[in-house]
Amino acid sequence: MKKNRNAIREGSRFADAAIYFIAAIVAFITLYPLYYVLILSLSEPEIAATMRVYWFPKGLYWGGYEKIFEDVRLWISYRNTLIYAGVEAVGMLFTCCTFAYALSWKKLRGRSWINAFILIPMYFSGGIIPLFLLMINFGLYNTPWALILPGCYSIWYIILVRSYFSSIPETLREAARIDGANHYQTLWSIYLPISKPILAVIALYTIVGVWNSWYHPALFLTDTNLQPLQLYLRRVLVEQTISFTEDFASAEMLVAYQEEKISNNQLKYTVIIVSTLPMIVAYPFFQRYFIKGVMLGSLKE
Amino acid sequence: MTMHWKKMRELSRSRSDGWQLYTLMIPAAVLVILFSYIPLYGVIIAFQDYKLGDPFPAVSGVEWVGFKHFLSYIESKFFARTMINTIRLSLMNLLFGFTTPIIFALLLNEVRNARYKKFVQTVSYLPYFISMVVVAGMVLSFLEINGLINNLLSLFGVSPREYIIYPECYPWIYTFTNVWKSFGFASILYFSTISGIDPALYESARIDGANRWQQMLHITLPSILYIIAVQLVMQMGQILNTNTDLALLLYRSSTYSTSDTIGTYIYRIGIQGGKYSYTAAVGLFMSVIGFALTFITNRISNRLTGYGLW
Repeated sequence: MKKNRNAIREGSRFADAAIYFIAAIVAFITLYPLYYVLILSLSEPEIAATMRVYWFPKGLYWGGYEKIFEDVRLWISYRNTLIYAGVEAVGMLFTCCTFAYALSWKKLRGRSWINAFILIPMYFSGGIIPLFLLMINFGLYNTPWALILPGCYSIWYIILVRSYFSSIPETLREAARIDGANHYQTLWSIYLPISKPILAVIALYTIVGVWNSWYHPALFLTDTNLQPLQLYLRRVLVEQTISFTEDFASAEMLVAYQEEKISNNQLKYTVIIVSTLPMIVAYPFFQRYFIKGVMLGSLKE
Repeated sequence: MTMHWKKMRELSRSRSDGWQLYTLMIPAAVLVILFSYIPLYGVIIAFQDYKLGDPFPAVSGVEWVGFKHFLSYIESKFFARTMINTIRLSLMNLLFGFTTPIIFALLLNEVRNARYKKFVQTVSYLPYFISMVVVAGMVLSFLEINGLINNLLSLFGVSPREYIIYPECYPWIYTFTNVWKSFGFASILYFSTISGIDPALYESARIDGANRWQQMLHITLPSILYIIAVQLVMQMGQILNTNTDLALLLYRSSTYSTSDTIGTYIYRIGIQGGKYSYTAAVGLFMSVIGFALTFITNRISNRLTGYGLW
């Protein structure tokens, strides 16, 4: 018996090494691209353009950051994203909590109809075209509301909050009601204080979702002064709005233009860092809430 | 005491603030009707010839054309192209994107050093929080002719190529990017299920002489089978929904032959091209098939594994 156990251990040592090694490779593949962008953003522009940097920045160049901090369009879009994220998070919490509260009362008349009412859109959706036409025909197109209003509700989150509320002990809820609290008071002073974990999860999911989304803003907002950060990023990173077909009167102008082009090229990496850094810095603090959210989401009714 | 409680409860039940519950439902209900139900009803434009300026959504004042748009989609050359591309990308995503989190979770579960395990796990979630635009921007610049990938490959004597413009490369670029971004986050579910497995099961397996591989095969894997089944059903329902978010950023006209999916087609022809009724029909067609697929896989999964969505 004892000998047998040792045999397993011997075999495991090699397996252990292999497992640790593979895990290290996975971590490397995940982290390196981000680190790489960071060192590119700090390298000399000419070197960054050819990407001949691998481990440490070559030279130390802050010019990209100086340039980007002067770009008003970046800050406008940054501000817009912060506003959208804040408003949508508050709106989301408000609509989810109120609706879920009502649903958490089993004696609510017509409860099964109301459940059907919110479940149907989970399985069937009209798709992007009707939503787009709705925005145009209701005068929401190219206004912040086209982004904010649909972002202030989520059937999925309503269901999450509902199941959380339903887990609140019956005695606790009834006690408040017996003390004479009406429904508004019960929601505000009994339900919400003990539901902080789920509220944090939903607020964070909403904020990260708004922060990272580009598709809906691209559909509904054409005015660059209203556009969020991700659309600014798309212009810089994907569309690369620098034109290459201009005529140059002199060789000097051409050289100046090419230098400009090279440093603009580097701005891509700088912009990635500036726009992603808040998320990465905040990440260690909020990631546990996300994990919690995944667990809550996997609960089946 | 119980009598007392019962009485009190009846008292509270008879209170007449039940209407408050309905007022509390108004905010969400209004938004659901506006942005879920009206678009759902607005799908009727798939059977109309809708032009900008027509009333929306309306049954009169717009020309009804029946299944014209459905037929013209099915008869067009785009039907086969978008369908095949969508299904190809979905299957590749299923093959790699669906299995990677499972393998990753099983693998990392075997790491004994708790801190190292935690570190790799936390790192693996990170890409999920990086925005699609930034991820696509990174992919595009790494793949440039003098970019990182070509520099690395040139060390092995591979001559540089602009991979992003070749149709045969696109599915791999798309799939790799998708997997890179989502595998860590998708593995959370498996991690948490694995950590909930009763340690006594492993203990008794060890006494019976099972080695690590056998323990994984006969204890860990069966314990997460339920989650795998449910995830698979959900993925099958999504088979016609590729990641349009990412595709729109990575694809270009030179790769349409492999990159143009139903989602990107609807965006290009509908939103940008203004053929609203036609693309609404394409979208409706797609969601009907998607629902049917979910339904069928759910039945199969229920029969084979005993688990399903419903």
